[in-house]
Amino acid sequence: MKAMVKDDGRTHLDSALMRESLVSKSLIENTDSVTVQRMVPDVRVLAIGGRSIMDRGREAILPLVEAIAELKKEFRLIVGVGGGARARHTYEIGIDLGLPIGGLARIVGGVEENNRDILQFLLAPHGGITFIKEHFQDLQLFLANGMIPICIGQPPYHFWEPPSKEKGRLPDNGPDVGLFLQAEVIGAEQFIFVKDVDGVYTDDPQKNPDAKFIAEITARELLDGGYPDLPIEREFLRTLDNARSVTSVRVINGLNTDNLRRALEGDAVGTIIYSRRHPGTGGKNR
Amino acid sequence: MSTKRHGKIWIEGMDTPLLNKTLSGRNSGDEPGDRSSVSILPDVWIIKIGGQSIMDRGKSAVLPILEDLVAAHQRGVRFILCTGGGTRARHVYSLGLDLNLPTGMLARLGSTVPVQNARMLQMLLAKDGGIVIYADDFDKLPFFLNSGCIPITSGMPPNEFWEKSAAVGLIPSNRTDAGVYLLGEFLGAKGVLYIKDEDGLYTDDPKKDPQAKLIPEISARELLDSDQDDLIIERVVLEYMVRAEKVRKIQIVNGLKPGEVNAAIDGEPVGTIIRAE
Repeated sequence: MKAMVKDDGRTHLDSALMRESLVSKSLIENTDSVTVQRMVPDVRVLAIGGRSIMDRGREAILPLVEAIAELKKEFRLIVGVGGGARARHTYEIGIDLGLPIGGLARIVGGVEENNRDILQFLLAPHGGITFIKEHFQDLQLFLANGMIPICIGQPPYHFWEPPSKEKGRLPDNGPDVGLFLQAEVIGAEQFIFVKDVDGVYTDDPQKNPDAKFIAEITARELLDGGYPDLPIEREFLRTLDNARSVTSVRVINGLNTDNLRRALEGDAVGTIIYSRRHPGTGGKNR
Repeated sequence: MSTKRHGKIWIEGMDTPLLNKTLSGRNSGDEPGDRSSVSILPDVWIIKIGGQSIMDRGKSAVLPILEDLVAAHQRGVRFILCTGGGTRARHVYSLGLDLNLPTGMLARLGSTVPVQNARMLQMLLAKDGGIVIYADDFDKLPFFLNSGCIPITSGMPPNEFWEKSAAVGLIPSNRTDAGVYLLGEFLGAKGVLYIKDEDGLYTDDPKKDPQAKLIPEISARELLDSDQDDLIIERVVLEYMVRAEKVRKIQIVNGLKPGEVNAAIDGEPVGTIIRAE
């Protein structure tokens, strides 16, 4: 039992943060650490695109489901999914009605649940189960029993979604951020975006034939590079850059499911995005 | 059989300006234009009772404040009471930091103590209509308020495992000050009031530096630019204020001075007022 200290009218527990406001910059610096403990370090998170994969229907989804069922025998996987066209429609109507940003963030997850439930249904014969935040700490139970936990992407900030850093009225935090943050607190081994393009390009390759493929890049370079149409959320890039456990992510084309196996096996397929804390960046992004 | 366009499911009515945009921020955000939105509960105050500053002082500080709040309630002021964490939150953060736990885990740990404080206040306020509400109850707020209740809730935002790592340090950036502010911003609340044990904002922590001077009014921008080491409010609140649409002013009052809470509700410039710009 730690000592109680009552000398200033407040009852303190004697600890390093006793009496501290937790706001002091110098105090915060003293709590810094480049690495942190990992919760389930051998798990890999797959972020399946809502618009890029799910909205394509059977041609894209069924081969991917088959590939995940097969790869699950070798790798411990969590599958997350975004909302796609219905998320965009939700935002359009919500903005037209004048809903505040926290209201948009509260409702958009509903259409992601559709996609999660579809993937769970299709993967159920292979152990697919829905993975919701109330069961976050049961992850090992699911994995140890050969299950494939399948979750939505939107982080549960809901009404507490902060005012946007960007122009306009969309929440900064979408499924890319939410799934990444799960991987980060879990301390996952790998994070892979599964999309319908070969990786990150200088522009959207489906609209601009001159767009150039980028094999590797840092989060900061992507943020500051003036790229007009990134396939991933800008706030995800900021989030990655501050992460302690997961310091790189890969973006691959899931329309060719062989890419998924190659990415899990560590091949340089698609685009790799590094954070400033990744040892491989040699500090060039600091 | 489903209709597809460019390989993707298409139905009538689905075409919108956002449809073929990645929702990646800057570019997609250009489309909808201005940020004006409806106010959800514009006549409701959001009032935070500090954890370390008030709750941890026990009855000598808490009971007079509750008396003031009940008086406000009885004269028709509608408010939601939010709680901070305080000493026990600092203790568990200390333990978590000692074990080098990630920020998301620390945010999870920090979420329990404000709930304890909310439950304590509810027991004291039950006879006056105090009820505890959780994040999932927020769309029932009109029901609670219209039936004369005082909703009491944890100030912590529901981020928990989804709290982002900060650029520097492991302590979660979004704690109860931030949660309370964002709640006010979402609701388009009448005002956001922080009850602490200081007259307001000082040039440094007055408990440690007797030379520190009170600042009666300042902008969030000035405060951020001043780069002072310590603040009376979580730094992210100032960052949010600069970008926010609705809550452009917050007030910090000294709950140890009787009447100060009601004075602030009546619009008097007690304590410190922080404006967005």
